[in-house]
Amino acid sequence: MNRTPEELVREIETLSGQRIADCYQCGCCSAGCPIGTAMEPPPSKAIRLLQLGRVEELLQSEGIWLCASCLVCGTRCPRGVDYARIAEACRLLILRTKRSVVDPDCVVPADLEDVPQQAFIASFRKFSV
Amino acid sequence: MRYLYYPGCTLYSKAKNLDRCARRAAERVGITLEELPSWNCCGAIFNTGSDDIAGQVGPVRVLAKASQLGDRLVTLCAACYNVLKRAGARLNIPGNELERQRVLEFVEEKMERDVRVVHYLEVLKEDIGWEGVRRRVSKPLNGLKVACYYGCLMVRPKEVLSFDDPENPMVMDELVAELGGEPVRFDFKAECCGGYLVVNRREVAQECSMRVVENARSWGAELIVTTCPLCQYNLEMAQKSVGARRNLPVLPVLYFTQLLGLALGLPEEELGFEDNKLNPVDFLKEKGLL
Repeated sequence: MNRTPEELVREIETLSGQRIADCYQCGCCSAGCPIGTAMEPPPSKAIRLLQLGRVEELLQSEGIWLCASCLVCGTRCPRGVDYARIAEACRLLILRTKRSVVDPDCVVPADLEDVPQQAFIASFRKFSV
Repeated sequence: MRYLYYPGCTLYSKAKNLDRCARRAAERVGITLEELPSWNCCGAIFNTGSDDIAGQVGPVRVLAKASQLGDRLVTLCAACYNVLKRAGARLNIPGNELERQRVLEFVEEKMERDVRVVHYLEVLKEDIGWEGVRRRVSKPLNGLKVACYYGCLMVRPKEVLSFDDPENPMVMDELVAELGGEPVRFDFKAECCGGYLVVNRREVAQECSMRVVENARSWGAELIVTTCPLCQYNLEMAQKSVGARRNLPVLPVLYFTQLLGLALGLPEEELGFEDNKLNPVDFLKEKGLL
């Protein structure tokens, strides 16, 4: 992305309204995350990567695309850090390079019949350009 | 009492049983739901990016339209409730005046006043009152053991939603008890069902949903009630696929408005059970409720 790790972390902080340094790695977010076992990296580790300046590693991870925005992480954080916002900021950095992760054209017709439209709208809003 | 009502995208098609039962049940308890004219989609999920103004236009337009007709807007879908409430709160953050002005310029509707977004359950509890609901019950639920599933969107983020306790919400449990049912302890009542991940990561969403269903079962529930079309879909479909593969017995999943309608004596054809993916009719007959 031609930006230094410092610039990227600052942008993630601006977009998310969260301070990365506030996290003291207690792990409550990852423990409560319903997807924590499938999410790599899980929330606390993701924030750690940012603290270590390993931004690219997080941006290339699958974890940021597995957040269902259920907000348990932020609700239970004793330091008031909302990881869902941080994950969203990371996704926005990628989506704004015009790279979608969910392509509306790839939806299976049977799902269109079945799945509530709110799921499609939410998915496209979070994962598509 | 008349209320301005916002159905949202899914309630006109895939969740019409949620909507229809709510309207009929409302009539029974003395509420008229007046649909907001020319409403649009709320966006289904709240965008949190600090510069993401476009994502606010949909919900803010709904709030502005509503503000021209009243000061309260009733919703049923947990997602609409969440998005509209958060969009309204974001508009009023001190120091956010410039964003407010820009969003409202996009919307091209006048914001006449602040609109309080309320959930149908809040109307039942606060305005009708549990006593008022109980008086109209004609078919008590016979101690049916119900797990009340709130999911994420009704209770989080707690700073904005103020609906109920974010870890242990009770409103729906109170309602079920008034209807003659027995709300069971249910530790995953606010655990995520996997939500929209069902679109691209179905297996992940299904695992989340199965955990919720199995938790309800281990606390002795015979039935789950929800307020969100997506939760309802996920809990039902996970059982149809993963649950069936693991030979787990089925736990019916109803909208709370279906259970409410049932207890208020709505005729079976108005309860919309044919639209449930796990048809609960046989189960309800067995329980002597149909």
